[in-house]
Amino acid sequence: MTLEARKLVAGYGDKSILEEVSFTLEDGEILAFFGHNGAGKSTTLKAVIGLIETRGGEILLDGERIDQLPIGQRLERGLRLLPERRGVFPDLSVEESIDVVAQRNCSRDGCKITRSDVYDLLPVLRERRKVIAGEMSGGQQQMLAFALALLGSPRCILLEEPSVGLQPDLVEELFAKIREICGRLSISAILIEHKIASAMKIANHVIIINSGRLVFSGPKTEAEKINLWNYF
Amino acid sequence: MLYLQLFVDGVVSGCAIGLVSISFSYFYSVTGTFHVAHAGIYTLCGYVAWALVAAGAPFIAALMLAVLAGALSGYATQHVLYQRLADRQASPLVMMIASIGLLTVLQNIVAIVFSPNIVQFDMPWRVGHLDIAGVTLSHPQALIALVSIVIFVGLTVFSARTDLGKRIRAIASNAELAEITRLDPKRVFAYVLAISSAIVAVPAVLVGVDQAMQPYTSLIVLLTAVVAMIAGGIGSLPGAFGMSIVLAVIQSLSVALIPGRWSIAAVFGIFILFILLKPEGLFRRRFSRAL
Repeated sequence: MTLEARKLVAGYGDKSILEEVSFTLEDGEILAFFGHNGAGKSTTLKAVIGLIETRGGEILLDGERIDQLPIGQRLERGLRLLPERRGVFPDLSVEESIDVVAQRNCSRDGCKITRSDVYDLLPVLRERRKVIAGEMSGGQQQMLAFALALLGSPRCILLEEPSVGLQPDLVEELFAKIREICGRLSISAILIEHKIASAMKIANHVIIINSGRLVFSGPKTEAEKINLWNYF
Repeated sequence: MLYLQLFVDGVVSGCAIGLVSISFSYFYSVTGTFHVAHAGIYTLCGYVAWALVAAGAPFIAALMLAVLAGALSGYATQHVLYQRLADRQASPLVMMIASIGLLTVLQNIVAIVFSPNIVQFDMPWRVGHLDIAGVTLSHPQALIALVSIVIFVGLTVFSARTDLGKRIRAIASNAELAEITRLDPKRVFAYVLAISSAIVAVPAVLVGVDQAMQPYTSLIVLLTAVVAMIAGGIGSLPGAFGMSIVLAVIQSLSVALIPGRWSIAAVFGIFILFILLKPEGLFRRRFSRAL
């Protein structure tokens, strides 16, 4: 699956945040997406998934334009979003959350990741299945949020600051899981992240935006040679 | 003995208010819409059953059709009114004003189509009564107590155990995530208002049978129900149902101590105490939305 944004323009109210941002994400790749606060990273992901309308440019999934499709149809084509800090249903138990989402996303035939698959991929959830999501630690909540994003047939997951609020060793653990699962199931991902060193470890490609403009785009090997901070 | 009788009367009317309260609370905690027009649907359903009985329908059929009328009008209200306003980013205040408008329209439709006067069901069994250990219960009162408990337990089990019940709780818990995990919150909101409105039809009809009906009196029932919801903790069905009974018992017992016209003031006095001392309610869920 290839996700491509061409000269994307988007924003809120009268204000445009993104100015002609373009990037390409190939099958199974992880794209690390950096930029200062308010640069437009979350806006980009919201535009891709369809939570906000685009004002210009195109978004293509395997060559098909999806920027005019309603959010439900983009989800059906395999796009997923793991929203920052709000990726779980805090009042439901782990098991209920997985059941509810699986029921709506795995009912059709050809479901790639079923509820038993997510328990196998993220065993901590099996141990905690009766626990109310809002009572779990931040790391476990992110594991659950990742599981909810995986259910069904995801092809590209948009990860919005998954490390927020996690202690450093858990960040490494979560990122290792993301790398492993995405690699094994050939799911691509866009990763918005402040923890640049951790994100670089699992990325294939890096883009940086500054005040809504793309200032760097290149493979990880190239990104490692430059001083990324010059672009912030 | 007087106190026991007043206590039992209070429990029974508390059961009826409890159904209004849990149905209001269910919709409110899922959508955040302060659905004042719930009182209008209450009135409408009561009169639908009354008109059907007056036209010769058996009571049970009239009750069932009133429940159906409630479900349909609830579904339509969400679909035609609230969802369209929400699509235009209406604030909660705008939603509530629209709801007050709908309440007025429904009450006046009832007054025009049916009757603006006090009406009573023309059924001989409604005046019959049971005597249990010196306490008198009218047949409709016994029915109210029984049916209310069944519906309360039914809704609690539905919410905890069924797929749709869990999906509704997920949407109440995090509507944005529900949207991006394809739980289809917009459609479910309409289901929830249909369920709530079907439930509220039951106390509307049974209280109408027990006492009498007027088009413009349902708002005070809803207010008591809302007080119970807040005191019991928003999002907690047992809290709302239990507090409805507590408030109705206090209202009923207060008649023995203070003049009857002050009984509603007693309820609102308790409400003010709650808002001052324990605004989160007695049994608030940990992560739910607040007023």
